[in-house]
Amino acid sequence: MTMTVTTPPASKTPAPSGRRLSDRQKDIIQKFAALGSLLVLIVVFSLSTGAFFTVNNGMTIALQVTSIALLGIGATCVIITGGIDLSVGSVLALAGVVAALAVKELGMPVPVAMMIGILTGSLCGLVNGVLVTKMRLPPFIATLGMMLIARGVALQITGARAVSGLGESFGELGNGALFRIVNIGDDGFPNVVFPGIPYPVVLMVVIALAVSLMLNRSVLGRHIYAVGSNAEAARLSGVNVSGVTCFTYILSGSLAGLTGCVLMSRLVTAQPNEGVMYELDAIASAVIGGTSLIGGVGTISGTFIGSFVIGILRNGLNMNGVSAFTQQIIIGLVILLTVWIDQLRNRR
Amino acid sequence: MAYSQTAGDTLRAPHGVAQGEPLLALENITKEFPGVKALQGVSFNLRRHEVHAVCGENGAGKSTLMKIISGVFQPTSGRIVYKGQPRQFASPLEAEAVGIAIIHQELNLVPHLTVAENIYLAREPRRGFLVDRKKLRADAKACLDRLGVAIDPNRLVRELSVAQCQMVEIAKALSLNAEVLIMDEPTSSLTEQETRLLFKVIHDLKAAGVGIIYISHRLDEMAEIVDRVTVLRDGRYVATDDFAATTVDEIVTRMVGRSLEEKFPERTSTPSSDVVLAVKGLTRNGVFADIDFELKRGEILGFAGLMGAGRTEVARAIFGADAIDAGTVTLEGRQLVIRSPRDAIAAGLAYLSEDRKAQGLAVKMPVDANMTLANMDEVSNRFGLIDFARQAEVAKRYVDLLSIKTPTIKQPVRLLSGGNQQKIIIGKWLFRKSRVLFFDEPTRGIDVGAKFAIYKIMDELAAEGIGVVLISSELPEILGMTDRVCVFHHGRITGVLETSRTNQEEIMRYASGYGRPDSRH
Repeated sequence: MTMTVTTPPASKTPAPSGRRLSDRQKDIIQKFAALGSLLVLIVVFSLSTGAFFTVNNGMTIALQVTSIALLGIGATCVIITGGIDLSVGSVLALAGVVAALAVKELGMPVPVAMMIGILTGSLCGLVNGVLVTKMRLPPFIATLGMMLIARGVALQITGARAVSGLGESFGELGNGALFRIVNIGDDGFPNVVFPGIPYPVVLMVVIALAVSLMLNRSVLGRHIYAVGSNAEAARLSGVNVSGVTCFTYILSGSLAGLTGCVLMSRLVTAQPNEGVMYELDAIASAVIGGTSLIGGVGTISGTFIGSFVIGILRNGLNMNGVSAFTQQIIIGLVILLTVWIDQLRNRR
Repeated sequence: MAYSQTAGDTLRAPHGVAQGEPLLALENITKEFPGVKALQGVSFNLRRHEVHAVCGENGAGKSTLMKIISGVFQPTSGRIVYKGQPRQFASPLEAEAVGIAIIHQELNLVPHLTVAENIYLAREPRRGFLVDRKKLRADAKACLDRLGVAIDPNRLVRELSVAQCQMVEIAKALSLNAEVLIMDEPTSSLTEQETRLLFKVIHDLKAAGVGIIYISHRLDEMAEIVDRVTVLRDGRYVATDDFAATTVDEIVTRMVGRSLEEKFPERTSTPSSDVVLAVKGLTRNGVFADIDFELKRGEILGFAGLMGAGRTEVARAIFGADAIDAGTVTLEGRQLVIRSPRDAIAAGLAYLSEDRKAQGLAVKMPVDANMTLANMDEVSNRFGLIDFARQAEVAKRYVDLLSIKTPTIKQPVRLLSGGNQQKIIIGKWLFRKSRVLFFDEPTRGIDVGAKFAIYKIMDELAAEGIGVVLISSELPEILGMTDRVCVFHHGRITGVLETSRTNQEEIMRYASGYGRPDSRH
């Protein structure tokens, strides 16, 4: 654990530089710590299971990680402002169900229906944001309420039954792939040369880059960090604190809506019970990636690594035949360990 | 043992210490952190019945020395001798147990507990498993009575003023039977009256045999209480003198290693006749009422008054940080509609808050990000993306202009000294091209050299035609820097005085609500 070595002795006094590593250096070390553990996981699983380190399994993992990563990106932005969003698991179910019903009951074209699903997520996020900024509810409570309400509505409008028979086009977003190369063999059977990059993975990468750009390079991103670092100082500097905070909840809700559409599309069935506890995976991926629950600190690259740590652990443990119960224990321990390292890093 | 009994029952008998022998002696203390020597060969001693001031600029090693005495840090080398015995304190608890208590500048009280619960926190008198609430209250009351302060032990700490919190901290230290009491900037947030009360308490403690280490930037007030003074500079011991045998100038010279001719720069600006900011009938129900004043171009206008008189509240309301119930604010002839700080900033107002860390800076963020936070439009393109080259250029320009000491513009501001933090906030508002700046206690907790620099900046701003309002509890600062003074009392302006024709006594009269000597009183 290199982190302990770099931790300076406790002190509140402003210290001359050189006495401890700069925050930038520490962020890099933190990221390499997460990245390092990711590499260790890959090596260990590759050695223990032959089928692990293959293009096919790589794509499978990437596909499995998409939902955690998309939700994690939203969670990161919310947590940087010092908030939390517990509602995303339920919101994704509601959004997916709304999109499915729009196709099945209202006969809408799939892209329009999915847009409505995503907007349902945005609306839930907006409500969260208004509850937090205008009605001054603690984020934990506001989004806990939304978690129950969104799940309840999803179950209500479907009668707690899965919505199926949605047609092939509904499955395109979740099951299609970019650059898929298939040769028709001499025997007439298709021969898959390259499985292609699944659309959800493309979406995940594009959105991660876009949000990362927003956080690092844009005025809005700067304001998000400023609100999390010191909301009162930000307000007195003319930052629209309510607006910025609201935006992060809307972003989180919209990404939950998108995740819902992707998940339901993959199954070509809308399940009102989908996504239970996903919010915790999202928060865990952000935290493993170095996002501080106190606010003001966090990166998308870190969250990305965090979500892959969780995804690869699940996949690799599955392949090694580790039971689901043991998996939970291991992932729990990993979260505790990484946050402990983070605490060591921040202790001063 | 010559040792008064007035507070004697709270104090352990000073057994084992012969008269004249120091109560506490530090010999050749060195403290190294990775890469830095915070203290080098510092010696220091404290006697009973003594107030011993420790002076030095920020970063001179005062805090490190105090943390070594109180057990927060262990010295790299050197000896601590307490009551004739060499001691090592592995933790603050160990130091506390033998009677060494510290009152931190940032008070460490639990706001949601009562005064009594705070004084005996973690040492509650018990009856079986339960807290003996009656005894808790009675003991706390006895502690407070000994200090001669009228604070109800049942009140919640969050309802108390800063000065009252300070008294509670002192009561807590006394309840620990402290024989060595370290006070870090105890008067920095107190008004004159409250400072008087604190000094009386210090006199009583001293008479009772307590040794007090007193850290303060306010050299002017030391004459009343301090017996000896030790000066540190850059982690090294400079000198120890009887306070009576030295002068403030001598101490300052030793602190900065150079001679400071005066505490305040010569004013170069003269107020013109045109009014920049006019405030009429400003009222916030229950806080302040009917505030009228005019600020002229190039003028430094002082806001004087006791703590809680409404000075900060008026500034915050004009800046849109708090709502108002009546009144108008006119800037350069244009009446403003201000609903939030954003409106005020857009109009050209700026407010430098009294609490830098809580309200002024995003401390986790670097220098450049803080500097540009109030004016992001100037360093971004029309797509809302930040132009990093431009941001760096702006940050460098103001770092140079204001002589901010920072290794790089990427340094998180929490690692900088108070003076440099204050300059970053000033830089932030200069970059915003503000027309009127409210400085709220701009020099609190800042060392002498940085204070002078900030005064000079204020003067230069005024000379450029910017209106400056200086809110200060330090009357010498008001008298040394302003052109006129608005004196506040109980949420009203009781007098507007020409600085050149007034003095501390007159301002204090208005501040206490007595007005002119011939009117009442």
